[in-house]
Amino acid sequence: MSPQSEEILLRCCEVTKRFGGLVVLWEVNLEVRRGSLIGLIGPNGAGKTTLLNVISGLLQPDSGRVEFLGRLINGLPAHAVVRLGIGRVLQIPRLFPHLTVEENVLVGVLFGRRKPPAREEAQEEARKFLTLVGLEGKHRERVGKLNTQEKRLVDLARALATEPRMLLVDELMSGLSLVEMERYTTLLRRIREQLGVAILWVEHVMEAILGTVDEVVVLDHGAVIAQGSPAEIAQDPLVIEAYLGTGAREVLGAHMGYAGSS
Amino acid sequence: MNARPVLSHMLPVLGTGIALAAVPLFVRESGYVLRIATFLLMLATYAVGFNLLFGHTRQLFLCIGVLAGTGAYGSVLLVRNAGLNPVAAIAVAVAIATGLGAFLSYVGVRRGFGVLFVGIVTLAVSLIFQNLVLGLRKYTNGETGIVTQGLGVGLAENPVQAYYILLAVLVAALAVYQEIMGSRHGLALHALSDDEVSAELSGIDVARYKVGVAALAAGFISLVGALFADWNGFISPSLFSVGHVDIPVLIVLLLGGMRTLLGPVVGAIVFTIVDAIVRPFGQLTVLAYGVLLVALFLVFREGTVTLLQRGWEMVQSSTQRGQVGRGVAADEDGDPLSQRTNSRAKSPY
Ligand SMILES: Nc1ncnc2c1ncn2[C@@H]1O[C@H](COP(=O)(O)OP(=O)(O)OP(=O)(O)O)[C@@H](O)[C@H]1O
Ligand SMILES: [Mg+2]
Repeated sequence: MSPQSEEILLRCCEVTKRFGGLVVLWEVNLEVRRGSLIGLIGPNGAGKTTLLNVISGLLQPDSGRVEFLGRLINGLPAHAVVRLGIGRVLQIPRLFPHLTVEENVLVGVLFGRRKPPAREEAQEEARKFLTLVGLEGKHRERVGKLNTQEKRLVDLARALATEPRMLLVDELMSGLSLVEMERYTTLLRRIREQLGVAILWVEHVMEAILGTVDEVVVLDHGAVIAQGSPAEIAQDPLVIEAYLGTGAREVLGAHMGYAGSS
Repeated sequence: MNARPVLSHMLPVLGTGIALAAVPLFVRESGYVLRIATFLLMLATYAVGFNLLFGHTRQLFLCIGVLAGTGAYGSVLLVRNAGLNPVAAIAVAVAIATGLGAFLSYVGVRRGFGVLFVGIVTLAVSLIFQNLVLGLRKYTNGETGIVTQGLGVGLAENPVQAYYILLAVLVAALAVYQEIMGSRHGLALHALSDDEVSAELSGIDVARYKVGVAALAAGFISLVGALFADWNGFISPSLFSVGHVDIPVLIVLLLGGMRTLLGPVVGAIVFTIVDAIVRPFGQLTVLAYGVLLVALFLVFREGTVTLLQRGWEMVQSSTQRGQVGRGVAADEDGDPLSQRTNSRAKSPY
């Protein structure tokens, strides 16, 4: 293998997925390199969540290949994909309500790794990830008592606890204020730097993503319509038309300016 | 942090065993009460299995009677028609039922059946079993049934011995349950009963747990079924029907408390008492069961044990609040599980 191909963690080749007659993904090609931060954007119903479901093994593609570390992973059940190193944060967090915050994360430590640590070490690990996402002091609470944001953070901590090489994040930002978004952006950056995790980040809110990611992939009606640096995407007429609508160029331009100066 | 005697999590199991072991000392040896108490042990063991199936892996097996019946008919026919010795016959019958349980679970998992669909399919399995026993009249005598005297290990002749053997089976089932729940597998079972998708995404092999649990539960249930055949001296298909086994077991588990160690035992005790009261009303008991089941599902899904635990926790926390500063100290012992409800408190994970 060439050094360049070793750099590639995930590769989707011509992935197609239908629900009945509806084509939700059409020959999607996608590459994620080690340690990179990639934004996946697209309008409602574009197929973003479906693509993440196919990658994480919750759905099987109708055709095409999904490779992780050079290994074909379609056909593998989701738990096996997790153990290979793909962590997943759901759009709407689904935690284990009968377990405490710490136990929710502990599940990830004990079952999401190929070599789970011993009991005491596992508990420490769980707390470590709770601290990383800023939930220290909450570890004994029942997750039912948490607010939506805290639930998302528990879900994130649980995904990180499986020690992924790549993290799939689905709309972490929906319904947040700008200040809160800033917090999440910082958090994801820190995760990537501290843990060296590559992140494929689905987001609706363009402002959140464009200043942060290395590369943007735009999905529309199940097909990749553009791919490139945030600056390129902001200029792409197809994207502007298909996804952003009229008047978006100015808004985008302003944000790129902001991102560039920070 | 988790410094505790290695076997302390078995104390509730041991306590239950000792308490129930005292029963024959207080009742007449060949009396009606001992019979009822023995039946209670069987019901509780069925419920332990059903708790694993329904409580922990969301598999609504409405074929507990089939699994018990496989143990019963299997062991009896293997002795009567194949000439096996009773112990070997029981072992083979239990193995067959275990395979059946695992197979039914596997089909459900593979085909992605939801809770209700598993319920419907297993209900159909129950009907098939009834018809199978009736159809194989040549071997089973159909609804006339089989007199099992001399075909088993002789439980019918020794009621006290039978009581203790069935108590041993119940205690073994409770011990296995507690051991699983105290291990990392217990955490996996709690997680997957809460949310299967999240469990998968956390690396838990949900399918394997479901099939494994079904096999284990079927093993215990069919063992009790085989012992029942011997103890009762007679078997007929209606003794293993949904109305005779599954509905009572469902009521027992809901009454006692799903996902708890002692729920099945407490539920069986309460149910047995209620049953003794409504029994004189004959046909009406079915109606009473139905009403009870609906009421349980609507207002009492948590069960007695969970309710008692909650009450106990409230009492504890209010006394703790009375003592200034103690709450903090308790927080700092670092064990996130120490405040847990009893059934789970002993899990080291
Ligand atoms: N299980 C399913 N069965 C049938 N259709 C589905 C299913 N899941 C998704 N779809 C359809 O597939 C399309 C893509 O859905 P998907 O959830 O992947 O979009 P998305 O890009 O994540 O949208 P959003 O931004 O709203 O989250 C939608 O039209 C949706 O209705
Ligand atoms: Mg989505």
